[in-house]
Amino acid sequence: MRCERLTAVAATVLLAWATTPAPAWAQDTHEGHGDHSAHMAAARYAPERSVARYVTPRVTLVNQDRVEVQLDELLTADGPLLLNFVFATCTTVCPVLSASFSNLQRTLGEEASRVPLISITIDPDHDTPEVMKSYLKRYHAQPGWQFLTGRRADIEQVMHAFDAFVPDKMSHRPLTFLRSPKDGQWVRIDGFISTADLVTEYRALVVN
Amino acid sequence: MRTLRATILAATLACLMATSALGQAPETVAGLSPGEALRLGERMYREGILPSGEPMRAMVRGDIPVDGTMFSCASCHLRGGLGSLEGTVVTLPTNGAWLYQPLVGARMNPTARERLPEHLRRDEFRAAYTDATLARALRLGLDPTGRPLHPVMPRYRLADRDLQVMIYYLKNLSAQPSPGVTADTVRFATVIAGDVDPGKRAAMLAPLEAHVQAVNSQSRHQGRRAQHGPFYKEEKLSAYRQLELAVWELSGPPATWEAQLESYLREQPVFALLGGISAGEWRPIHEFCEAHRIPNLFPITDFPAISATDWYTLYFSKGWYQEGETAATFLRGVTDLSPTAKVVQVLRDDPAARALAQGFQDTRKRLGQPPAEVIALAAEERIDGDFWTRLGARQPDAVLVLWLGPEDLADLGALATAARMPGMVFVSGRLLGDRLYSLPEGVRPFTYITYPYSLPGEQGRAWLATRQWLKSRDIPLSHERIQSQMYFVGWMLSGALKHIRHDFYRDHLLDVMDMMRDQYYAIAAYPRLSFGPGQRYAAKGAYIVQMGPGPEPELIKRHDWVVY
Repeated sequence: MRCERLTAVAATVLLAWATTPAPAWAQDTHEGHGDHSAHMAAARYAPERSVARYVTPRVTLVNQDRVEVQLDELLTADGPLLLNFVFATCTTVCPVLSASFSNLQRTLGEEASRVPLISITIDPDHDTPEVMKSYLKRYHAQPGWQFLTGRRADIEQVMHAFDAFVPDKMSHRPLTFLRSPKDGQWVRIDGFISTADLVTEYRALVVN
Repeated sequence: MRTLRATILAATLACLMATSALGQAPETVAGLSPGEALRLGERMYREGILPSGEPMRAMVRGDIPVDGTMFSCASCHLRGGLGSLEGTVVTLPTNGAWLYQPLVGARMNPTARERLPEHLRRDEFRAAYTDATLARALRLGLDPTGRPLHPVMPRYRLADRDLQVMIYYLKNLSAQPSPGVTADTVRFATVIAGDVDPGKRAAMLAPLEAHVQAVNSQSRHQGRRAQHGPFYKEEKLSAYRQLELAVWELSGPPATWEAQLESYLREQPVFALLGGISAGEWRPIHEFCEAHRIPNLFPITDFPAISATDWYTLYFSKGWYQEGETAATFLRGVTDLSPTAKVVQVLRDDPAARALAQGFQDTRKRLGQPPAEVIALAAEERIDGDFWTRLGARQPDAVLVLWLGPEDLADLGALATAARMPGMVFVSGRLLGDRLYSLPEGVRPFTYITYPYSLPGEQGRAWLATRQWLKSRDIPLSHERIQSQMYFVGWMLSGALKHIRHDFYRDHLLDVMDMMRDQYYAIAAYPRLSFGPGQRYAAKGAYIVQMGPGPEPELIKRHDWVVY
């Protein structure tokens, strides 16, 4: 009698598991070892963080609206800003970096308009202003996020200046830079960072 | 009580069995026909759109929401599903053949593993996925052993039915090798369409055939290596196959070409098309490749189909269209023109001029500029010095875009002595050919020339290497641009096949091409070719040059290879 009841319960649970909608996000479940090893995996995939001083070369780039941008002026203006290097047909790396920028804007809300985000293409051959504009639209970019292209030699110069140069775009690293308005130094994040951690980094820049 | 328990158990088991019947086509998938499920699954995979039409939603890196408009499965796993390697991130395969087999060690298939001595066999890294564990991977980011996947793998929010469609699609994605491949051979074809000049035909075919011979001459050596080489290279070495190259000749009107191609394909399936050449348009062959999902790598044509979204033909460039495009883009960046200056295109009714003009007009539209005027010359109309003088007077300070050949431009010098000179003149370097160098000195200061190839004097090393190789194969040098283009095709083919190894899926061939680094060295005809997923015209630019003075003028670059 008890045996049958237990089996019936087990079968119901099994059926219930197989047919209910999944828990919303991974953190909502305690499935097996998933929860614990997720934390360990996060440590393994943690990005590298360092601080450096970079000198922006005097180059003129063009943004998604075909407006010319004097890069050294842009990157030394008052206030914090974030920078990354991406390209429109990138696999894996850039989609996550760009989703990260997108979510940062969303999270900052009204404050987002005071935090310039700059993405510089490392595929100027393909990424024309029209391509870049379409890319920003896909990532629901809000005002303040610019995507820049330019002459190949100028782009390479900028990459060198930020110690981000790779001879071929396919081998580029997932880099995000945050500029501190206090001392002009740059926080360099090599790897994939959560929005929570990115906001923490940003707040550290602007707090007195 | 007993009956209820039995019913519940039976129902559960039936559910699980129905969804894990790999290899047997089910009657329905989530209530859809298999064909419809594949179509909807493909849309989810490639475009990130659910069967409902809504974007797919997921989380990455713990707390970053992404939706299907940002990126899709194909963005990282690529169209063929074999994954990608970019910078620091390896995106693993997600195709049926790979998911539903156990992973037993670096690129070693189970059969190879069986042949190893016991003590060298490694444990499975992970068991084969099942429908249930794949569902868990997509929703929760856990592999079959419960280990979490990389944080950048999205954890998807999917309803059960959508999940079933996705799983069914993945199971069938690159699950069987494409046609045209046997245990020993890979078959390609090259298309020769219409009445092609025999010299050009030979220039296209001879280097390609020479490359095929070069690969095949290694058969005995490669065969021995595969049999006796070290065990850890077995998988790579056994992927070697002989190449076959069929020549598909198309005759008669272009409207009949697709039917002829289909007939060739039925007779003898091929893995992909290589090179090829047409006396005129390329579109019918382009459409054939789109319809049958067959890659065509680098046909020789000045009339490629221009599309931002078509997939299966990888061209060297947009041909004539690209010169028009470059002229229009360059013109937009010219700042010292009068804002009321008119832009006038002058052309005859021939295919090249039409393509040049189309590239020019489409680009002006894309840049938000008003269309240029068009002066279309009648066939019998002759151009002399008076024509230019009259044109100059009617259109002072204009920008004249002259898609004309050397005969028509013979008296262009009249512009230099006219009362009113144009602001700028554009001509096509390609249309002028060798006669470019006799452009009258008087017009050179205001004439800009589109030049869609590497300049004379550039790419010296690449030309040397190409010519040496041709000589070593006893191929006389002629139509050197075509020969250099086919040299590149053969050269990159070996590399591409090495990357493909055993994964002979047509989509994967293109994915491998898309991950190629920028190429400078093996392609003498262009300064640079660049690649990327979905990029289908490898040479992205054309030079804008002006001519220096004198009878042997130098060509002076007025912009980089790519004008944005």
